[in-house]
Amino acid sequence: MSENQPRQLLEALDPDQRRSALQTPLPRRQLGPGILTLLWTLRIYVLLAVGVVVYAFVKSLLK
Amino acid sequence: MLLSKERLRALWIRPWAPQGWDEDRKRADDRARVLRARARRRPFLLLFLLVGPGVLVMLGENDGPSMLSYATTGATYGIGFFVPFIILTFAMAYIVQEATVRIGIVTHRGHAELIYQRFGPFWGNFAMLDLSVGNVLTLITEFVAIRAGTAFFGIAPWVAVTMAVVFSVAVLLSGRYFAWERIVLLLATANLLFIPAAAFSHPDFAALTRALGTWQPLPGGAHGAFLTLVLANIGATVTPWMIFFQQSATVDKGLTRLDLPQGRIDTALGMCLAAIVAIAAVVASAPLFTHHVGVAGLANSADFATALRPFLGATGVTLFALGMIEAGLVATMTISTSSSYAVGEVLRRGHSLNLTLRQEPFFYAINLASIVVAAAVVLIPRAPLLAITIAVNVIATLLMAPALLFLLLLVNDREIMGNLANSRIANVAGGAVTIGIAVVGAVYGVVTAFPQLLAQ
Repeated sequence: MSENQPRQLLEALDPDQRRSALQTPLPRRQLGPGILTLLWTLRIYVLLAVGVVVYAFVKSLLK
Repeated sequence: MLLSKERLRALWIRPWAPQGWDEDRKRADDRARVLRARARRRPFLLLFLLVGPGVLVMLGENDGPSMLSYATTGATYGIGFFVPFIILTFAMAYIVQEATVRIGIVTHRGHAELIYQRFGPFWGNFAMLDLSVGNVLTLITEFVAIRAGTAFFGIAPWVAVTMAVVFSVAVLLSGRYFAWERIVLLLATANLLFIPAAAFSHPDFAALTRALGTWQPLPGGAHGAFLTLVLANIGATVTPWMIFFQQSATVDKGLTRLDLPQGRIDTALGMCLAAIVAIAAVVASAPLFTHHVGVAGLANSADFATALRPFLGATGVTLFALGMIEAGLVATMTISTSSSYAVGEVLRRGHSLNLTLRQEPFFYAINLASIVVAAAVVLIPRAPLLAITIAVNVIATLLMAPALLFLLLLVNDREIMGNLANSRIANVAGGAVTIGIAVVGAVYGVVTAFPQLLAQ
């Protein structure tokens, strides 16, 4: 295989799917008030969910 | 001398260039075959090359606990309402999973990676941690299924678990996404063993057709048991790891916008196969309902296989038990890989099956660690496996809400999705499914934690 062959082979990939292109992270999304509220609600939901999981696990351990 | 923060970070986040080159080369090699098949207008070869993530994710979700859930459904209610209901749940799974294909194809980034980059480190780390912890617990239940299935054949637990670990690791070390995918796909076809097992039960095809057309007969008896099985069947169809796995696998496979039709066919094919297998499990265990065999004493697949022996015969129950072992094994391989992808994406390490063990040991260490920890727990005498199974159900169902919410936010993110963002109709369908599954999942989680709520 000549030196050029690997480079030619790489042309089978879209430029934006090459690893070098993916090293640049996408920018943070600008979040509007609606999504911010949703995400804060989600934080509270997650806290409650963790509580339920711990309760369920401990209760079944003690059975 | 103290290291600066930047230096520490540089040590932790290794540059991708050398590994990245090899990863690109292998993916480009796979893509070249796809491009040739497309140029030569060979649609079946093209489809053969492009199927994978969708079939794997759907058959992977027909895992040990899910198949047990379908068997319990058949044994409790026979052929009726739940047959078309299972088709409905898989249709919902298709709507969710199709979105992950689009996001993966457009962004070429995994789900955890996108959450981290678009919504910040808090949610990125949360997605990674909740998936990793939930996956290790789920893997324990998969090894329980493998252990129970092999116990039917008289294989000692430690032998069964060790063989499963060795097999999973050996396939993982193929060093190439395409090879790994094909081996696991081949193994996943053993999920279809439930179909001949169902045939051995001499199913009532008239009842099956009537159930599909009319959703009848509706289950009678205790409402609590019915509601629990409704929720369990939904929980058996859509889970967080599926979202992370399919998007990352789509990226690792290298699918592009041109491959979207095949990506959708792949997901639809997986949906159809998995739904047929799930219904086959219901049908195979329906004789227990017909002959009034109580399900209270049936805790695992070996119990089911033993109870079904008079109705399915020796061959039928052997197929049933083999199907259970396969269900646990394929799920072990796909679920552990979804953990590796998510951790690698969030910590910005290499995250591809196209990297070898030497190139990215961290990716493989995560996979191996999750498998070994789960396997070890199953072998601990008097390990609290029931408590773990309950915790898995609660975690998986309660955490569907955040997973689906981020999926919906990402697939509507026009900055990254462009013209492949959700249309209004897709949002109505996707939104309804998301809200429905999230609410039902949350209810199931709460009901599992507080079963007395249903008893009242």
